Amino acid sequence: MSVLRFTAADLVKAPSGRDARRRRADRFMRGIMFVTAAIAVVPLIGLITYIITNGLPFLTSQLIVNSPLDIEPGISNAIIGSLQLTIASIIVAAPVGIAGGVYLNEFASPRVSSAGELLIDVMLGTPSIIAGLFAFLVVVPALGFSGYAAIVALSVLMIPIVMRTTQEVIRLVPAGVREASLALGIPVWKTTIFVTCRTAASGLLTGVVLAVSRGLGETAPLLLTAKGTNDTEILNFGSTMNAMPIVIYRYSSSPDSLLIGQAWATALVLLVIALTLNVLVRFRTVNNRVA
Amino acid sequence: MEEEKGKGMKRSEVNTAGSTQASKTASSAATNAHASHNSTEGSLNLKNLEVFYDKFRAVNNVSLNIEPKKVTALIGPSGCGKSTLLRAINRMHETIPNATVKGTITLDGIDIYGSLVDPVRVRRVIGMVFQKPNPFPTMSIFGNVASGLRLAGASSKDEIAGIVEESLKKAALWNEVKDKLNEPGTSLSGGQQQRLCIARAIAVRPEVILMDEPCSALDPIATLKIEELIRELRTEYTIVIVTHNMQQASRVSDSTAFFSMGEDRGGYLVESGLTPQIFTAPTQQLTEDYVAGRFG
Ligand SMILES: Nc1ncnc2c1ncn2[C@@H]1O[C@H](COP(=O)(O)OP(=O)(O)OP(=O)(O)O)[C@@H](O)[C@H]1O
Ligand SMILES: [Mg+2]
Repeated sequence: MSVLRFTAADLVKAPSGRDARRRRADRFMRGIMFVTAAIAVVPLIGLITYIITNGLPFLTSQLIVNSPLDIEPGISNAIIGSLQLTIASIIVAAPVGIAGGVYLNEFASPRVSSAGELLIDVMLGTPSIIAGLFAFLVVVPALGFSGYAAIVALSVLMIPIVMRTTQEVIRLVPAGVREASLALGIPVWKTTIFVTCRTAASGLLTGVVLAVSRGLGETAPLLLTAKGTNDTEILNFGSTMNAMPIVIYRYSSSPDSLLIGQAWATALVLLVIALTLNVLVRFRTVNNRVA
Repeated sequence: MEEEKGKGMKRSEVNTAGSTQASKTASSAATNAHASHNSTEGSLNLKNLEVFYDKFRAVNNVSLNIEPKKVTALIGPSGCGKSTLLRAINRMHETIPNATVKGTITLDGIDIYGSLVDPVRVRRVIGMVFQKPNPFPTMSIFGNVASGLRLAGASSKDEIAGIVEESLKKAALWNEVKDKLNEPGTSLSGGQQQRLCIARAIAVRPEVILMDEPCSALDPIATLKIEELIRELRTEYTIVIVTHNMQQASRVSDSTAFFSMGEDRGGYLVESGLTPQIFTAPTQQLTEDYVAGRFG
């Protein structure tokens, strides 16, 4: 079999049968990829349009500023509750997750490190209702249905996300960067915090935001812990609290068409918050490579 | 008199790693010593040095005197343990698990492996420049040079700004970067980045600078600039440079040490001496073959 060999003259010749076949194959593959991409994207766009068309008519200023107990009821207590629970949970989860991820990568022995990774895998694979159940069985008997129980459940879900992302981005920091720092006589712990973590800072932030987005949307663990309430609780984590996913869950199964509409509107608010967060982080990581 | 005192204090700096009181006085004394530049400061002595990776002996019984305020080149075939030896000199090998050292290394008579000596402190006195320029990616040009002072020392802002300028000038980079000190260090060309790394190493005021093939990632012009710089830095620092480039060794170094590998792949010192002698009249056939390019 002779090896196919082109000369410059071949480049301007009319396409041969072989070329035509190759082009057809090209087009065919491109077509398939377009279709599969569309299969992935179309339902997503459909979902978003559906949420918008159903939710927008109910998305009024009263919905956002009023509590369910007002004459024109809203979901302000759920928005406030979601924000408080998510922020409180990430305040617990971010330091623990980042420190844990850094420890596994930079300090742990290979054995501890692989045990830790296995644990993270298991935790990442754990259905969120299990985290809720854990808080329900461990915290609720002591503190009752409460924000605290919800924070425990949410942090249990957030920690492995932050930890895994931390590990991944810390691994991307070139060894030469750490070496350079150590060779300057900078102690290991300072090298870890001020050089390694700083180099990976935007990646670490991404992990935190991923965890926040996850926490914002969780429903099952909240039903088992914060439970939901019509009252507005501010920094009162000892009491039951409301949250947007709880509202969506409870209202959508109600017979009242106003409440069903408000469930859609709440979904829209949640979507906008999560989206804004992700866009902000993308923007920050692109523009702030250099601090 | 002042000089004498500065030097004494500096020794104690290496010796008494634990006490903050001592280290405070020592660092101000170090500034004095730096200003006056004692000409015998920074002499290294390696005695029966062996470096192991687990059981594998990568460096075999090396004894070598490294003259202060001179450039010493380490040459030899790939894998003969030059980098390993170099990293043992500022205890950087300790960052590799399972790497161990036997024998002694003294700096101005102080055993740097002494039981009271903190390896972190050793690296401040014996700095290092690597093969691949490795500026801190999230730091500006200024921040890179200041990093050692900010993270390992306690200098005031004004002082840091002064030292950064001085270090960049010494590294022959000041004129090229003085208008863009806030731009990222990684925005510079490869050769400039390497000079930035040299400035960063100088900023913490070491006595010795170790360089592991500092030009092998650079083009010939950038290489010549670094070589010129090394010759200038010699007046203030003891420099040990590993290079594969014979012309470079003969151009920049005062002394040369030639290493080879034994049957067991362990590296050993074949001979050392003044550079012209090693290149023109070596006593060992092995050295002659190597510098003539007949092997390795
Ligand atoms: N981290 C390590 N773990 C185990 N063995 C190592 C390690 N680093 C180097 N070695 C081994 O030690 C020996 C010396 O390596 P070293 O890097 O010091 O050689 P070198 O003279 O610097 O070579 P080159 O000129 O190629 O840079 C080699 O046999 C190498 O395989
Ligand atoms: Mg090497």
